[in-house]
Amino acid sequence: MTAFTVRTAAAACVAAGFGFAASAQDTIRVGITQNNVGVDSYQTTYEQAFIEAAEADPAVEAVVLDAGGDVARQIGQMRDLIQQDVDVIVIWPTNGQAVVPVVRQAHQAGIPVVVTNSQIAEAGFDFIASFSGPNNITQGQYSAQMMCEALNGEGQIVQISGQPGYTTAIERQKGFEDELAASCPGVEILETQPGDWNREKSQRVMENFLTKYDDIDGVYSGDDNMGVGALNAAKAAGRDGIAFIGATNFAVGYEAMGRGEYWGSVYQSPVEDAKNALATAKAVAQGEDVPFLNYFDTPKITQSNMDEFSKPVF
Amino acid sequence: MTKLDIQSGQAAPRLGVPDRDALRETLQKQGILIAFALFLVGFSLMSDRFASWDNVSTVFRQVSIIGTMALGVTVVVITGNLDLSVGSLLSFATVLVVDLHDQIGPAPAILVMFAATLLIGCVNGLLVGYGRLNSLIVTLGMLSAIQGLTLIYSGGQNVDIADQEGTWFAVFGRGFLLGLAVPTLIFLGLAVAFHVMLTRTSFGRRVFAVGGNPTASAFSGVRRARVVFSAYVLSAFTTACAAVILGSRVMGSQNNVGQGYELLVLSGVILGGASLLGGSGSIPKTVIGVLILGFIQNGLLLMGYPYYAQWLVTWVVIILAVWLDVASKRGAFFTRTS
Repeated sequence: MTAFTVRTAAAACVAAGFGFAASAQDTIRVGITQNNVGVDSYQTTYEQAFIEAAEADPAVEAVVLDAGGDVARQIGQMRDLIQQDVDVIVIWPTNGQAVVPVVRQAHQAGIPVVVTNSQIAEAGFDFIASFSGPNNITQGQYSAQMMCEALNGEGQIVQISGQPGYTTAIERQKGFEDELAASCPGVEILETQPGDWNREKSQRVMENFLTKYDDIDGVYSGDDNMGVGALNAAKAAGRDGIAFIGATNFAVGYEAMGRGEYWGSVYQSPVEDAKNALATAKAVAQGEDVPFLNYFDTPKITQSNMDEFSKPVF
Repeated sequence: MTKLDIQSGQAAPRLGVPDRDALRETLQKQGILIAFALFLVGFSLMSDRFASWDNVSTVFRQVSIIGTMALGVTVVVITGNLDLSVGSLLSFATVLVVDLHDQIGPAPAILVMFAATLLIGCVNGLLVGYGRLNSLIVTLGMLSAIQGLTLIYSGGQNVDIADQEGTWFAVFGRGFLLGLAVPTLIFLGLAVAFHVMLTRTSFGRRVFAVGGNPTASAFSGVRRARVVFSAYVLSAFTTACAAVILGSRVMGSQNNVGQGYELLVLSGVILGGASLLGGSGSIPKTVIGVLILGFIQNGLLLMGYPYYAQWLVTWVVIILAVWLDVASKRGAFFTRTS
């Protein structure tokens, strides 16, 4: 974490120096404060992609900061960016509720704010220009449609959800359950338990499900990391014929799909996520009309179309 | 379940005096075992799947990671110290052994991981043992420091083992020997070794002496620093063993895979009746404490309770177990001292 802090601090100093020197008439100065780079591969890849996209665009100059998962540090970084008077701020909230006041300060200072990846609390909606990120409700719906297809509309499944309280977890679960109830009444969810985004925890939960239920036709997991944990458990118990559907396709999920053990997932690229955030921020700074919810595409990936996608880097 | 326990407690005075003393003694010594038995009976009555061999062996396998870590932490707790760094250390060790597996092969990966993990245990031991720093502060700091180290090492990437079917590394987490899961055998085997070490060797006696009465032990020539240092190295050792099981079971690792495990481990140790003030604790009871945690999660899930019920019940059980332990020692549920 120290390495990241030092690097981002250095980046901030350099960017600030440039800001004063060049007074930045033509370039759009984008400040970003991320949630917790380095804690997982997705966020790490996101940061790299964001920096690359910003460097590739001569019209953009980026100040890249990372809150290290710390709300207080993120609020401090927001204040720094307001002080530097950047043209637009991108924030990946460490906590959707706690950052609302400082987002409001940016709004009052006349700096538009774009929220990336994870939405902030509704109380802050008036103070942000746009949200750029995946549509987790749609992702849940996609997974439900794939589950329906995999089971031919008939069967009993279990659900392993993400960390309780996380917006991503809640929205995927809601999208999945609503879509399944609406368009696939023949598939019944026997039970839902959280796997906390943790593969080992998910494996334990699945082991208990396998003990409890003799017939499980499908498993929906809030991400592939947990899905592969559930797959591990089923393989160890010698239970075949279970359709595994996930979300956020991970490299391990992609490989399991290649082996025919994993049915399908939702392809969410951190590179697209980062590019979409930068494009949204740029458009907002230039005063263009941007949808309030500016989603990027997260398509279905299954055994049959996986050739069209490159293996995820995380 | 509590009701049953209170009934048995109330039944005691009606018996003859010697029996009553015997019963009280049993309750005092084996309170945790009785609570465990009541749990098992209660869950068996409520779920027909609970008492099956499949389920029981699954739970033993599931608790083997937490349980193995708890063995070393028990030794640290008996010396009167804490080790909150084991969760982060587990993340670090698992990421290391999984990442190195594909680069230098399973056996060297395990060796390097053990060396690095034990080294971190030495740092804990030096600071708390020889530096005489507060163990809560040292290991809480190490919790963050090791997490940072893990992230720097991995650059935030998840690590996976490519050839999951072919590697002999799979035996530690997925193998079976004589019908028993290898993780369970590692856990119980180490438990026996630690029990013998604590009860049958002079090192074991020094561990209890340092935690029970530091002054007296110092006058008796026991070197506190050396004993505490060794305890932290043992704690790192069991965490390294747990990392081998975890890495092999999952065949990959997230950077924060052990996050929060330190509290589960400590809960198991406390449930087993080890005093946080040091000087008391036992390996068999820690094993039972860990099993209680495992069976609660498993039992509630089999009965279909939502996860928040598990959190709540786990907390209630810990409080009840500790309270019963304290109450049986002082002979009353409440004290009147003001």
